[in-house]
Amino acid sequence: MAILATRRVGRGSMRRREAIAGMLFVAPWVIYLLVFIAYPVLAVLYLSFTEYTILEPPRLIGLDNYHRLLTNDPALRIAVGNTIYYALLAVPLRLLLALGLALLMNMRARGIAVYRALFYVPSLVPPVVGAIIFLVLLNPSGPVSGIFTALGLPAPRWFSDPAWSKPALILLYLWPVGVETLVFLAGLKEIPDSLRDAAAIDGAGPWQQFWRVTLPLLTPTILFNLVIGVIYSFQVFDQAIVIGGSNGEPLESTLMVMMHIYRHAFRYFAMGYASALGVVLVLAILALTLLIFGTARRWVHYEADERGA
Amino acid sequence: MRARNNGVSRTRLSRRSFLRLAGLGGGAALLSACGGTPQPGPASSGSQAPAGEAPAGESVALSFWTPGGSEEFCRGFDTIAANYKQVNPNVAIGPTQCGTGDDDFNELLLARIAGGNPPDATILWTSPVALGARGALEPLDDLMQSSQNSQVANWPAGVLASCQFQGQTYGLPVTSGSYAVFYNQELFEERGIPADRASFPKTWDELRQLSKEFTRWNNNTLEMAGFVPQFDAVTLTVWSALNGGQFYDSANSRHTLDSEANIAMLQYLLDWLDEEYQGDYNQIASAAGWDMSLDSDGLEPAWQAGRLAVAINGSWAAGDLYQVQPVFEAWNVAPLPVGPGGSTAVSGYWPNWLVIPKGSPQREAAFAYLDYMSVEGVKVWFANIPDLPVNNKVEGDLVMQSVAEKRGEEFARDVTDFFRQQLTVATPMWTSPVQDFANDQIFRAYEQVMSKAASPKDALSEAQQACESQLAQVLRG
Repeated sequence: MAILATRRVGRGSMRRREAIAGMLFVAPWVIYLLVFIAYPVLAVLYLSFTEYTILEPPRLIGLDNYHRLLTNDPALRIAVGNTIYYALLAVPLRLLLALGLALLMNMRARGIAVYRALFYVPSLVPPVVGAIIFLVLLNPSGPVSGIFTALGLPAPRWFSDPAWSKPALILLYLWPVGVETLVFLAGLKEIPDSLRDAAAIDGAGPWQQFWRVTLPLLTPTILFNLVIGVIYSFQVFDQAIVIGGSNGEPLESTLMVMMHIYRHAFRYFAMGYASALGVVLVLAILALTLLIFGTARRWVHYEADERGA
Repeated sequence: MRARNNGVSRTRLSRRSFLRLAGLGGGAALLSACGGTPQPGPASSGSQAPAGEAPAGESVALSFWTPGGSEEFCRGFDTIAANYKQVNPNVAIGPTQCGTGDDDFNELLLARIAGGNPPDATILWTSPVALGARGALEPLDDLMQSSQNSQVANWPAGVLASCQFQGQTYGLPVTSGSYAVFYNQELFEERGIPADRASFPKTWDELRQLSKEFTRWNNNTLEMAGFVPQFDAVTLTVWSALNGGQFYDSANSRHTLDSEANIAMLQYLLDWLDEEYQGDYNQIASAAGWDMSLDSDGLEPAWQAGRLAVAINGSWAAGDLYQVQPVFEAWNVAPLPVGPGGSTAVSGYWPNWLVIPKGSPQREAAFAYLDYMSVEGVKVWFANIPDLPVNNKVEGDLVMQSVAEKRGEEFARDVTDFFRQQLTVATPMWTSPVQDFANDQIFRAYEQVMSKAASPKDALSEAQQACESQLAQVLRG
């Protein structure tokens, strides 16, 4: 009994040591989570109810910031409109482009690995650099305008004509499509060839195979890319501020919600109001994400569900 | 057993100890990053050296920033600092920290002020009133009063107003550009129009009439223009004053964007656009950069290309315009014309402001340097970059060298004197505690009107409401 008791004490002590060691290993992440995620989130929530100019302590003003953004911020309406326009066009186009590229890269062709790498490279380019590259490419004296001129067409003033500035931003968004393409490619690789072969034996052509087999089995991947895309598109900032400045030139056509938040925080020093805008943006993204997940049951096909798992 | 373990723990670093030390080290690194950078020299914010002089006998090291500028502009401050050291051997001013010229300079400055380690002094390119009202800058009145050069009477009142908020002065408008009309004399002469300064239109109506003499359309393409009513927010502020209006009433701490004078001003510009420029704001922009500098699309400046007869710009343009060689030689400058609602010709200005950030460790020594720069340092500055010295004590015989090289000493002196004189008739500007916000709203309203998205009254009312809301928050604080 004495030996058993000693062993139990020994095991208990070992468990404690292991638990402490485990906590120490987890500690950096927990500290990171608390200091760099939880604290800023809670701080933003608190600051949204205050008047705060950074240099003086925040002063509670109740719901004034929220009242103002609903009733007295004309530029916000423009920014929201621009962001929705951008998201509605950019996200589906990027998904289509990524899916198309993934289908091409899923083919067994010579040197396909090189193409995969090439299409991924733009994803490694920092957004600001990408924006500058596009500024050069789409400049009236740049190569794209040169093509228009060679074809006898008037070259659009991409970044100074409000009718063309948002399409230019969307083009820029479509460029680094590598990540989504790789995710789609991974999804395609998961689909067993046997399913397509079976469909072919049943007389399905390539289009029907894609429409009836590949696409339904790819819907979980589409859902993932869609959610990420929507979140990202509502937070577009780097490219927009490089191209349109903090006022969203020309004619506020490139003014996005994130830029509106930025200029209130760092140009007008209205941190409290910027925090309120940030909270509303988070809630809007959350609502959209929940909406997408809510509709997902109708159009996303999970193989596990089919098996009754 | 215990003894041996203890022995091991003394001689080897255990995993637990390593983690503990790593945690402590990381925490220390984090704290040191968040803390203030140690400033060289004594922290003498409480010392009582007379203003205008560096504290005698003490070794003082000052840091000085500028938001941006060309290399020539930035290195000019190092020359000024070296000259200052010759008369104040105990003061060492570090290499000028030259920013990128973007908004992020204010972010950085504010972060350093909030962190308790601001520079001793800096130049600002945005209104000191806006930063002063938020407690980011040191008031300078006591130092100005006992200074050698910077007493209130030594600054043009309209220009110093850009530094004053609720009875306190937060900066020195050390140099400034003043606004005027630049016109191509050769185009005038080709059409038999008198090209001397005295004959230049005195009113908007006269300018509008004159402009039509030059404007030429080729179907929907604007080939040449007299004067294109395209403005930024700063120029619109001057344009408002020329029409008897203002955007901010500092005496009553309220914006007046939607005043009758301002509505009439925007309506006037809109009518001009419709009458002479086919009413299409974007159409004009697609034909050329109707200005004196390269536009963001790299279009050539129409003024230098001889396609624009008249432009409004700051005095700095007299130095910059040769960056794109004009196709003509003879040009001149004239006062801004007066609007239908105005009675007096006024000018506008955009200064380089000298300020001392809140918490500057060496307030008196920093101010002594700024005081020196206001009168002595600006001579070096002006020789590098033709920003006009503002302080009345600066000797009058100044000549813009870049202009003298192209047009001769006499013309350059005349132009320099003209622009300095314009500073004395400058309308008070930059006085709103929410100046950047107000500028954005003013420009927004202007663009809405010119692109026919809103009427002048609606656009200005909306801007007024937004500005007052923003102002209320600042004043309440």
